[in-house]
Amino acid sequence: MSEPDKALLRKAVARAVAGLTATGRLTIVEVAADGMTVFRIHRDDNGRPRCHYWSSSWEDLTSEQGWGHESSRPAVLRAADPFSADEVVLVCSFPEGAEADRALAWLSEARPAAVLPSDGPVTAIVEDVLASDPLTRSYDLVVLRADHASGRLRLGSKQLFPIGALPGTRAEVAVRCEPGDAYGTAFAVVTWQGREPRLLSVHSARLAPGSYLLTAELVRPGKVRFGGVPELTRDPRGWDDLVAAAPAQLPPRAGPAHLICAVEVCGPDAKVEERLSRVRQMVSHLSAELADLLRVSLVTYGAHSYDDRSAGEHPVEVAAWQVTPERALAALEWLEERGAITEGYPYYPHAAQVEDMLDAVARRLSTAERVRTVLLTVGDRPPHPARTNRSLILPCPRRHDWRLLVGRVQGRPDTLLAAICDREDTSPHPVWRRLGADALAHLDALDIRGLAADLGLAAPAALPIPFPLLDETE
Amino acid sequence: MQSDPAQGPPAHDIAMWGAPGSGKTTLLAALNIALMRRKDEWKIVGSDAASSDYLIERTNALSSGKIFPEASQSLEHYRWTLVGPAERQERRWLRKARPTPPLTIGISMVDAPGGLFSAGPLHTANGSGVADDLRRRLMDNLVKSRGLVFLFDPIREFELGDAFDHLHPPLTRLAEKMLEIGELRDGMLPHHVAVCITKFDDPRVLETAQKLHLLDSAPDDEYGFPRVTSEDARDLFRALCEVSASGNADMVVNALDQFFHRTRVEFFVTSSIGFYVRPHTKTFDWNDYQNLLPEAGKDLRIRGQVHPVNVVEPMLWLGRRLAAGGPR
Repeated sequence: MSEPDKALLRKAVARAVAGLTATGRLTIVEVAADGMTVFRIHRDDNGRPRCHYWSSSWEDLTSEQGWGHESSRPAVLRAADPFSADEVVLVCSFPEGAEADRALAWLSEARPAAVLPSDGPVTAIVEDVLASDPLTRSYDLVVLRADHASGRLRLGSKQLFPIGALPGTRAEVAVRCEPGDAYGTAFAVVTWQGREPRLLSVHSARLAPGSYLLTAELVRPGKVRFGGVPELTRDPRGWDDLVAAAPAQLPPRAGPAHLICAVEVCGPDAKVEERLSRVRQMVSHLSAELADLLRVSLVTYGAHSYDDRSAGEHPVEVAAWQVTPERALAALEWLEERGAITEGYPYYPHAAQVEDMLDAVARRLSTAERVRTVLLTVGDRPPHPARTNRSLILPCPRRHDWRLLVGRVQGRPDTLLAAICDREDTSPHPVWRRLGADALAHLDALDIRGLAADLGLAAPAALPIPFPLLDETE
Repeated sequence: MQSDPAQGPPAHDIAMWGAPGSGKTTLLAALNIALMRRKDEWKIVGSDAASSDYLIERTNALSSGKIFPEASQSLEHYRWTLVGPAERQERRWLRKARPTPPLTIGISMVDAPGGLFSAGPLHTANGSGVADDLRRRLMDNLVKSRGLVFLFDPIREFELGDAFDHLHPPLTRLAEKMLEIGELRDGMLPHHVAVCITKFDDPRVLETAQKLHLLDSAPDDEYGFPRVTSEDARDLFRALCEVSASGNADMVVNALDQFFHRTRVEFFVTSSIGFYVRPHTKTFDWNDYQNLLPEAGKDLRIRGQVHPVNVVEPMLWLGRRLAAGGPR
């Protein structure tokens, strides 16, 4: 093919492809020495030009009857099907052939069109035109947009390539990746048809959490190559699967916190030891999560003594208040060495100084402080009521009312109530449901990490973010 | 406390009656403490050494040891005499006034294991023959007595509901015996019955009385304890019967009405240990009146001082009613 002919043909094909609408059909018929090749081109849902082609030899088309037989013409027209196309381009690559001339005449007669000359295969030209077709729809990257104030996540898109972008165009997007789901983080490209996204491609990889400068290169219509992240593999999920995987909320961001551990230190030694051990685990875990953002208070309480044979009960003890985790752990060590308190024996066996503990905590908590505060109560006994009632538990000697005090602590801004109850029966006293209003766990089945996450003191381990994150401010 | 040999055999027998654990033994000990706390001269005197020892032992357990006396394990027959203040006659002319003998009410109490009254089999270490013998002796005492103290434990009734089971079988047998010896009067048993609603100190009982507006206070009560008068006690009894676990408690009232003259039955709301009073205030406190103290792995103890409520009154009422009726 001479260069001018080739350029002319390419230009004509490119013009015809560019003019293809979303539902349009383009047919290119190449008439050659031994037969003809038909290229049927349309745009798919993403606006990408797709081509199907087939070839028929003259022998197949004329059958055994020969060119002179009346059945040859319909056979040629049936194979080319020029009537179903919106535009037809006829190409002749063997102008001296009688069969080619006759076929071209039949085709021109049926669907008048200019006949472009070609001295080589048209396939390469069609493939080249399709591969360099400018985008008819923009290509967007699927992202999660995060509103850090509310923690809300919104599934959205970030444009990579606008309409008209040509292969070879590159784009950069700064994203943050968090631990993803089973597929890792998905890099999905969509086009938009009105308000409806159309999935073009999905590739994913398990990435280390962090910020990435993602590069995207438009290789050809329908193919985007990503860089700046480890190698991606094809992801088999469809659009609905991807949407279902998107969480609605960011995991709570850990910030400054005040953890108040109130521990019941009466009863069997083994139980007291276990309670203090759980508190140690909690403080250690949060210390690793929050470092110097954490302040810890330790309060212990035992049982009242109503017996005049007793030397006097052991009062509520504030072993540490708003200290660093290190100092709290040191105070805890001292409590562990001391073990269960026996002072005040014989002490009341069916309740403990929960109400006195609440009073001590409520008195110390400043209402001006705006730090997330968690009161974690560890024990199993109910409190004493403020006055004699049908529970038959003797009233608190100081007449503290646990209901009022729980309400006072709970009503404080950004203050949560958590409890670890080790009561044997399955239905703890209602106070434990109040003390554990925001998180209630059993001593024997305690997930420290989960408890901390429930209280917003640490990010949950198991909340996947399966898409790149884009800050709303960006 | 020593027995008074001059008293002789008591004229009237009062039998105590109630389900096991209804507080018969505790009531006996509380009776002595209550008499000693009274500002009159009423006292209780043992009629024999065994009765005096029994009283001393139970009283000490309740007052000093602050523990509940052990329940009766065998049929015991104790005799005491309630001795009242001496009455002085007025001088006549020049004659010197002579002190009259003090008012005495002879009381003989039969203390028996609670289960002995029940309809079911009684399990004793000595077998059923011994149980039959105990029942026979007890029935004899009921036949001879003309005063009955029937203890109704509302908490037990709420939890177990067996008061009727422990009342009806012996009552039927008693009626049978009395009919046999011709002692039924107008088809009724001749006994006077003091129905003692026990455990008034329990918050569940006190709150019930409070909700029914049945509470009163005695102006001369130094602690200001609430009380329910005998006139209102029957209403409280009916209210407490409504929450019986078995739903049979209403039949207790009906059984009493069927077998005894209404005028011979009086209701008393009692507490053997009374309400807790703080030593420094010595006043009843609605916020903190429970006088029971649980101890780990042990039975309940008594928290403070024992201030029996209304335990003397049933005895005096019975004694006076019996005395007014003369010896049998």
